[in-house]
Amino acid sequence: MNDRQRFNATMHYQWRDRVPICDLGFWAETINVWKQQGLPGWVSGGYDTTTTDEFFGMDAYIGGPNVNVGLCPPFEHLVIEDRGDHELVQQPDGVQVLRKKYMGSTFHPERHLLVDRASWQKHYKPRLDPDTPSRYPDWDEARRCWQNSDYPRPRVISGGSLYGWLRDWMGCEQISYLVHDDPALFEEVVTTITDCIVEVHQRAFDNGAQIDACAMWEDMCYSGGPLLSPETFRKYLVPQYQRITEQLRRHGCDVVWVDSEGNIEQLIAPWLEAGVNCVFHVEVGTWRQDPVDLRRRYGRDLLMMGGFDKQLLAGGKNRIEAEIQRLAPIVDEGGYIPFCDHRVPPDVTMSNYMFYLHTARDVWAKQVNLKPFGALATSDPVRSPTASDT
Amino acid sequence: MQQLTEAVEMGNLTDAKRLTDELLKAGKAPLEIVEQGLSPGMANVGEKFKSNQIFVPEMLIAARAMKEAMSHLEPLLVRAGITPKYTVILGTVQGDLHDIGKNLVGMLLKGANIRVVDLGINVTPDQFVAAVKEHNASIVGLSALLTTTMLAMKTTIKALRAAGYDSVKVLIGGAPVTAQFAEEIGADGYAPDAASAVDMAKKLVTA
Ligand code: B12
Repeated sequence: MNDRQRFNATMHYQWRDRVPICDLGFWAETINVWKQQGLPGWVSGGYDTTTTDEFFGMDAYIGGPNVNVGLCPPFEHLVIEDRGDHELVQQPDGVQVLRKKYMGSTFHPERHLLVDRASWQKHYKPRLDPDTPSRYPDWDEARRCWQNSDYPRPRVISGGSLYGWLRDWMGCEQISYLVHDDPALFEEVVTTITDCIVEVHQRAFDNGAQIDACAMWEDMCYSGGPLLSPETFRKYLVPQYQRITEQLRRHGCDVVWVDSEGNIEQLIAPWLEAGVNCVFHVEVGTWRQDPVDLRRRYGRDLLMMGGFDKQLLAGGKNRIEAEIQRLAPIVDEGGYIPFCDHRVPPDVTMSNYMFYLHTARDVWAKQVNLKPFGALATSDPVRSPTASDT
Repeated sequence: MQQLTEAVEMGNLTDAKRLTDELLKAGKAPLEIVEQGLSPGMANVGEKFKSNQIFVPEMLIAARAMKEAMSHLEPLLVRAGITPKYTVILGTVQGDLHDIGKNLVGMLLKGANIRVVDLGINVTPDQFVAAVKEHNASIVGLSALLTTTMLAMKTTIKALRAAGYDSVKVLIGGAPVTAQFAEEIGADGYAPDAASAVDMAKKLVTA
């Protein structure tokens, strides 16, 4: 089985040779620390997981041609102000953030361009036009991948974000006020975003898209629950999600995941009503969200990804193994792809992570058809296995 | 009064302002308006937030209404020499820029008629120490949202104790923080949400 077949079989509770073994990724700091613990120099951390996937022998849960359903064209990258060791920059989403020079990973939003109806119409609405050509891949090339039944990776299309983007564009407080003060504008914005997503997807389907899953992103929960009440969520967002998910199902895509950290408990039911049937990276957190418990309560209707408490990786090996064993029955049942509930943080040692992965490959994947697993550097830390394989 | 409480709870800005003015005109004392009108509203909001009946937006909106009403009352309270009994120095610790949770905590504390000096985000231990001295505070409230910056809570507590502020109570919170962690680093209290933060603050000063 290839990654795609295994992913699809898992998400439909069908027979597969084993469960996919994947991970969300690693903080850049983690990889830097691990280099002192023997990780080869060619492996890098951060958002691009190509080299970590390769080193750790990970399966892919994402791939295939994609379309851009977001702001197009993005806002220009601008350095607005130089403040010594900090700089104020405009991000691709228009938000002006203050960040430390040369250390791009932490930032603080200082100014939002989206504040009212006028700024919406001026800056954002024009960037949600489905006609913008740069949204689309080369259709001939895309069709070749979509028609290739042996395509090796799950073909995942992005489904955008109905609240998360807007939260970023306006800031958490302002979006909260907007829902209360000008619900009509909130509804208009959310509808326009959805119009764009649905139309862009339609053009992909018209060009022969065959999609295994759709990935949405919201990040709309914190430790105490959702950042928006389930009531508001149902009123304004569920109908829009439904437009997206119904169209996907009409075209054969019945796995729709939403990426949200935090305590998602109260949004699971509305998401299911909205046609979103998979929760992505189930964050255990201090609120102890638990995939076993979610399976017990939501049954097979709810697909899950993630859910392994990354905090355990910083502790003892016994507890790591016990947790892998505890999750094993629902891994075996299907509909669940286990991995760390967020990027692996730097307080986890390389040796503990290696232990976790070895054990997961043993217990969850039963050592069946696994990809080669990198060895710790001995003599030549810059040699890439790809270079030697080809 | 009851109507004012409701206006705050519903986050009704215009009503909260109007009712406050009406009560003042009717001869009610500013402190009475705070204690019997606004505070119960914020306390209800905090309780509902804690039990998941309302969420972050509703809480922000209620706090905005209270703030608006308070802006009419504060000058009068100051002129009458009425100041809250306790002062809390509040801030997000060094290296951390998250402030939504901390702000909610601040709003409910103010709602409970506790004076809040908000030092903002990325606050160094020295800044906390200096503020305790300047404002003669009884409590320091520390917020952290990152597992990495949680450690700055410990440094801040150390700095406070080293500066001789042994009786100043330290209350901590934020998504990754637990009661166990609070105990480990020698904090006096922990609260998981903004409403409990108020209860805990009251408990600490009366203990
Ligand atoms: C909004 C948000 C942001 C916003 C912050 C905007 C702002 N003005 O605050 C922005 C975009 C700026 C941001 C930036 C970053 N973030 Co952020 N962010 C969040 C998010 C989604 C929600 C936090 C929030 O506001 N919650 C709502 C409030 C109401 O909840 P709360 O803060 O927990 O507060 C409640 C209680 O904790 C308590 N409380 C809070 N403070 C206090 C204080 C006291 C004294 C008491 C008693 C109680 C108390 O009461 C509050 C109300 O009930 C969380 C997700 C999460 N799971 O928490 C991530 C999260 C905190 N962020 C995270 C990260 C990694 C970052 C960045 C590093 C990302 C980056 N690559 O740049 C930067 C860091 C910037 C920095 N140096 O601080 C991680 C932290 C991971 C970790 N383990 O450390 C989280 C957990 C997301 C994740 N899972 O990865 N973030």
